Amino acid sequence: MKIAEEQAGGITVVAIDGRIDSNTAKSLEEKLTGLFKSGRNRVIVDCKQLAYITSAGLRVLLLAAKLADKSQGKLALCSMSVEVRRVFDLGEMSDLFAIYPSREEGLAKLA
Amino acid sequence: MRSTANAKASLCIGNAIAEMSKVADFVESFGVTHRLPSAAVNDMNLCLDELLNNTITYGYADDVAHSIAVSLTVERGRLVAELADDARPFDPRRSRFRPRAGGRGRRRIGKLGLRFVNALMDNVDYLRSDDYNLVRLEKMLQPAAPAGAAAGEAGSGSATEPG
Repeated sequence: MKIAEEQAGGITVVAIDGRIDSNTAKSLEEKLTGLFKSGRNRVIVDCKQLAYITSAGLRVLLLAAKLADKSQGKLALCSMSVEVRRVFDLGEMSDLFAIYPSREEGLAKLA
Repeated sequence: MRSTANAKASLCIGNAIAEMSKVADFVESFGVTHRLPSAAVNDMNLCLDELLNNTITYGYADDVAHSIAVSLTVERGRLVAELADDARPFDPRRSRFRPRAGGRGRRRIGKLGLRFVNALMDNVDYLRSDDYNLVRLEKMLQPAAPAGAAAGEAGSGSATEPG
């Protein structure tokens, strides 16, 4: 898994390329936790190049969403494939996140 | 999808989380070699990650090194994975995930992975034999979608906000 980070205004975009699984979830946790703890608390996770996410990855996103709530920030997800979205739906997680069809829409909502 | 007669490969890993990336690479490589649809390969990889994580994290009562065998075949239009481990008996078909009602603060993840296994695979079999757990996962192989038809490419779906 590769993690790319970009700034768009005051919003941090974290783009994932590859898989979020038992091995890679820790790296994502460190990245997102670091952002929220450093005060960069408006974050979009771009899932366009995400191959799949396991329950270990969902746990990390849930943790990040709780950090966003605590810091009065926002965490959004965007550009999911239907396969990735199906995993969120199966886990009954879709209603816990702001999920946008595209990065542009997510940026507009968080601006 | 390429003709997959006699397509078979196997791998042994140790019972450590760090070993699991070998399995993910192995499944991905098998899919590329046999030109399998990426959606099926990703679903299989996701489910193997859930099962192996469960076995490695909770399955062993000692600190001794153990081996876990993973094999892949293509049979009758299905991608089939078989796992063999000597961890404590565990039938992945029997676990039930019950999400807790409420928002993020109350949500739990435990047993969610096993829900994925049972929902994403077309068949899950389990047998305890000679002190080994033998798990068989089957995923039907659909023809790959034409280029540009992948659902994620168009940013499909509508926006949702947390409830």
